[in-house]
Amino acid sequence: MKSKFIEHTEDLYQNAPCGYLTMLADGEIVNINNTLLFWLGYKRDEVLYKKRFPDLLGIGGKMYYETHMMPLLQMQEKVKEINMELRGSEKRVVPVLINGIKVQAQAGETFYRLSIIDITQRKQYEKELLKARKEAEETNKRLREINEELEHFAYTASHDLQAPLNNIGSVISLIERKKLLPKGEEGDELFSIIASNTQRMRTMIHDLLEYSKLDGKIGELVHISLRETSFLAMEMLNEEISKNGAKFTIEELPIIHGNKSQITRLFLNLFSNAIKYRKAEPPQIHVSFKEERNFFTVFVQDNGTGFEQKYDKKIFNFMERLHSHDEIAGTGIGLSACKRIVDKHGGSIGVSSVPGEGSTFYFTLPKNLDTASS
Amino acid sequence: MGKNLIARNNINRIGSGSQTIMFAHGYGCDQHMWRYITPAFEEAYDIILFDHVGSGNSDENEYRFEKYNTLKGYADDIIELCENLELTEVIFVGHSVSSMIGALAAAKRPELFKQLIMIGPSPCYINDDNYYGGFSKEDIDELIDTLESNYLGWSSLITPVIMGNPDKPEFTEELNNSFCRMNPEIAKHFAKVTFLGDNRQDLSKITTPVLIIQCHPDVIAPIKVGQFVYGSVQNGSYKLLEVSGHCPHLTAPDQTIQALKSYIENYN
Repeated sequence: MKSKFIEHTEDLYQNAPCGYLTMLADGEIVNINNTLLFWLGYKRDEVLYKKRFPDLLGIGGKMYYETHMMPLLQMQEKVKEINMELRGSEKRVVPVLINGIKVQAQAGETFYRLSIIDITQRKQYEKELLKARKEAEETNKRLREINEELEHFAYTASHDLQAPLNNIGSVISLIERKKLLPKGEEGDELFSIIASNTQRMRTMIHDLLEYSKLDGKIGELVHISLRETSFLAMEMLNEEISKNGAKFTIEELPIIHGNKSQITRLFLNLFSNAIKYRKAEPPQIHVSFKEERNFFTVFVQDNGTGFEQKYDKKIFNFMERLHSHDEIAGTGIGLSACKRIVDKHGGSIGVSSVPGEGSTFYFTLPKNLDTASS
Repeated sequence: MGKNLIARNNINRIGSGSQTIMFAHGYGCDQHMWRYITPAFEEAYDIILFDHVGSGNSDENEYRFEKYNTLKGYADDIIELCENLELTEVIFVGHSVSSMIGALAAAKRPELFKQLIMIGPSPCYINDDNYYGGFSKEDIDELIDTLESNYLGWSSLITPVIMGNPDKPEFTEELNNSFCRMNPEIAKHFAKVTFLGDNRQDLSKITTPVLIIQCHPDVIAPIKVGQFVYGSVQNGSYKLLEVSGHCPHLTAPDQTIQALKSYIENYN
């Protein structure tokens, strides 16, 4: 049988793996253990009754001691995890964590016991973290500023470009209406290039403006019936729908919390793509949804040209397209606007597509928008 | 009336006398620090306790960095508080930075104050050519570093929980622990405003009688500084306590009470 282990209390105090210090209300040090003396590089008789605890602190620490630590010890009779730097002999500096309690002795005298842990390595680690955080904060701030500037620039540029372009457009119609151009095949051809490019530029600026309006903020959130919103988008596309003989089937859809004009634009862009990238047969568009635990997934399926699945990320990039403008007119902004809208609602967007058979675009919207980014 | 102010500054009014004493806490703490002092005055005085905006249980949302960029913002709060509670001839007891806040308020609106009592005042902490404040600018940076590494129970994660559940008793302990707890950004800002300010020019504008209560040694407000304040005010008295440290109302409440009473009762 093992013999009972005996701990010698004085040895435990003096040589504990942490520092101990006892002081009076005025900070006078009346007891200190070997461990702490060793850390500080002081002899016992240099400290005992000769130094006050604040004497071991730098100036910032002294101020902190007077304004926080001592009041806390007085008021709450304890302090926890106070981080300070202790100054020892020969410019030694020991970062420490201090816990302390107020002790009311029977004789009526009050004293304070502190236990002190050396945290040199932990402090180093903390400094690294703080440094990284400060850097990240600054980068973030800078990025936010740049983003705001860019958004503002995009908005102003596209907005201001509209006016001269509208003037050019009006002049072109005027020239056509008044038949001011001399007849001749070459002139006609050149003029129609001007007219079509002007129209293309107008579309592009319009799309850019719409996109830049989707700035950092999600705006006012309301309850939205996705079904009503998709009808609204159909109304806005009335002309194209009848021109192409497009058929829509829209199932029951859930009610979500979101920005109404943005969600309308989302459907509008998806529908108009489904019509635009059509095959010879009339477009058929089917809208349905699936309920998951935390979100809804909405599907917009078409019978259009489709594309190779490997492009499923590329098509959502800003101003990237799979077709040249001459094949099928477009700016490459519509789907990236869709992605931005869904992102801001805290969801994600994707597509599965088979060339020649059609595409199914799907997006998720959270049931609880608290999880959405703002 | 004044309902917003009551929440803003967490005003508590106790005592059954008619003469009002307003106790203003110093940097780093809140009104709880007067706990050992107020019982001696409750019977004969009307006592106003409050937390400066940003400290203790004040409404942190009211903290405007522009407003509190100088001590004038806090002084305006005191004046507003007196007006709303319809107080005049107040005995104002300010600890540490609140001494100067009281001084600014009294210089602006002398009729509101009967006496100013300053515990450990300093009009300027930074040494100047012919002035000893006790600190250099680098020292204050060191304090800011110490503040940055001590959040004292403040956490962006627990604060909303406490704020959102003021009625739930299980949070009472945490609310009590608000003493010394400050939003780190506010703590740093208040520290800078407190320790980098210079209100030496304002002292001579005070016509209200002033008592300076000085401890020795006091690292934050050394004896030379207390004497400077005494020499600068028009109508000053000076009391040196046999107490070390910066918070005699915590470490030596009896001596502090005695000093307060003997001035309040004898100076008329």
